[in-house]
Amino acid sequence: MKLLRLWLLQVRYAATRELMFRASFFVWVAVELAWFIIQLAFIGVIYHHVDEVAGWNRDQMIILVATNQLVMQIFTAFLMPGLSKLPELVRTGKLDFILLKPAPPAFLVSTSHLEIGPLANGSIAAVVLAGSVYALGLHPSALALAAYLGLIVAGLLVHYAILMGLVSLTFWIIQAESVLLGYYTIFHVARIPREAAAGWFRIFFTFAIPLLLVANVPASTLIRGLDPGPIFLFLLSGLGVAIASTLFFRLGLRRYQSASS
Amino acid sequence: MTASLRALPAVFSVGLQRQLTYRWNYFLRAAFSALPLLVSFVFWGAVFGDRATVGNYTFAGILTYYAVLLVVEAVSQPSDDDFQIATEIREGALNPILLRPLPYGLYRATLFAAGRCAYFVAALLPVSLCLFILSRVVDLDLGSLHLVHGLPALLGSALLQFSMTLCLSLCAFWLLEVSALIFLIYALEYLAGGHVFPLDLLPAPIFAVVRLLPFAYEYWFPTAALCGHLTDEAWRVGLGLQYGWAIFFLVLAHFIWKAGLRRYTAAGG
Repeated sequence: MKLLRLWLLQVRYAATRELMFRASFFVWVAVELAWFIIQLAFIGVIYHHVDEVAGWNRDQMIILVATNQLVMQIFTAFLMPGLSKLPELVRTGKLDFILLKPAPPAFLVSTSHLEIGPLANGSIAAVVLAGSVYALGLHPSALALAAYLGLIVAGLLVHYAILMGLVSLTFWIIQAESVLLGYYTIFHVARIPREAAAGWFRIFFTFAIPLLLVANVPASTLIRGLDPGPIFLFLLSGLGVAIASTLFFRLGLRRYQSASS
Repeated sequence: MTASLRALPAVFSVGLQRQLTYRWNYFLRAAFSALPLLVSFVFWGAVFGDRATVGNYTFAGILTYYAVLLVVEAVSQPSDDDFQIATEIREGALNPILLRPLPYGLYRATLFAAGRCAYFVAALLPVSLCLFILSRVVDLDLGSLHLVHGLPALLGSALLQFSMTLCLSLCAFWLLEVSALIFLIYALEYLAGGHVFPLDLLPAPIFAVVRLLPFAYEYWFPTAALCGHLTDEAWRVGLGLQYGWAIFFLVLAHFIWKAGLRRYTAAGG
């Protein structure tokens, strides 16, 4: 309860700071929108040549990509801006100020900043998603919709755990800005239909880093209805990667040496 | 001018040292660059399924395209030159550079070349490893690269990308924050440059328009030239357009620089 109150305060402060730069807000919405259009254009080009990919037709593929975009934009709005500042905090020694506060450092770091622009793009992704659900003539049950929303939250946890693990490298290699590039690169995997992957690639990205489940499981729930097996697998592997990344962050924190005088 | 040329090796050396200051960060970046090829392998494998071709491409052909694209990217794509230039302008770090008897464009071009050399060497190991693994499962057509067509196009791509980067980042004379603009153009380059898919997979009328834009000559043209996908005539026309765009942006950068310097206020010691 105390953390929730603290989070709401952080959100209010971050939103005030964000709204001071309105022009920047609109430009960044355009930037993120452009990246989403790229993904949709890619689908358009692929389905210009083929009718289905790994059993997914065009509209189903749009649901997959839009779901991934939705998770990513919510993550980019609330958690990523703060987490991505960790390398700078470590390098400059400003992490000291966070460590002195009476709240978990990972929580304070990840909720310290907010971006409103991605929420606008998340809404656009939701509209595109709804359009494809309508085009497919799907009528998901209330339970399937609730499960979809719950799985989106689980997807956020996986995004959080992976980025947390990547930025924690900063405790060892000081300048770790390139891990953000790594984060964007690695999440290409989340847009692939799970049925397309095979062998060690499928095993690794299902059990070790469950990227093949982040958008696939919620999208499949919406398209094909509830299937407890993949949902359970997703929740379990998501929890595993979250625990592993928290431990890695704590290990890194033990290495941290203040850079201030 | 001779004095300027004598200084270039020293600038190149400084550029190399800058790149390698945070080695791990650098090598991580290079290592991550190979991952999209792996993703392409999985995704395009599903797209092809039992099909022999998609558009004009076989499965091995399209993977060869993405593999060669990695090399083109390593040789010609600026790393953070745009952000460095913008920061120099915004924070007044341009002052000491302006005092040197060295044209700013030449100075930045040398740093760009140093960055590309360092990155190419760093990316060599992860990219080679990735290509080696892929070549075990797919018959990549890397042995018959068309170097006569490819190398001038590769050089043209580096020149074009550098000149576009220069134009964009010099907007910092007028705008406080250019990163959004840079990312917006980056998205366009990514799509219309042939990074996401080979441009000849586009429907013919769209492809005809896209190949007139400069973006196509950043990635798609050099990659297609190296892969030997272009006829002699298409290559000659493409090369003319590529160098034409590069010269256009270099001249534009010159005028932006002149106008920007009139606005620039040197503050601080």
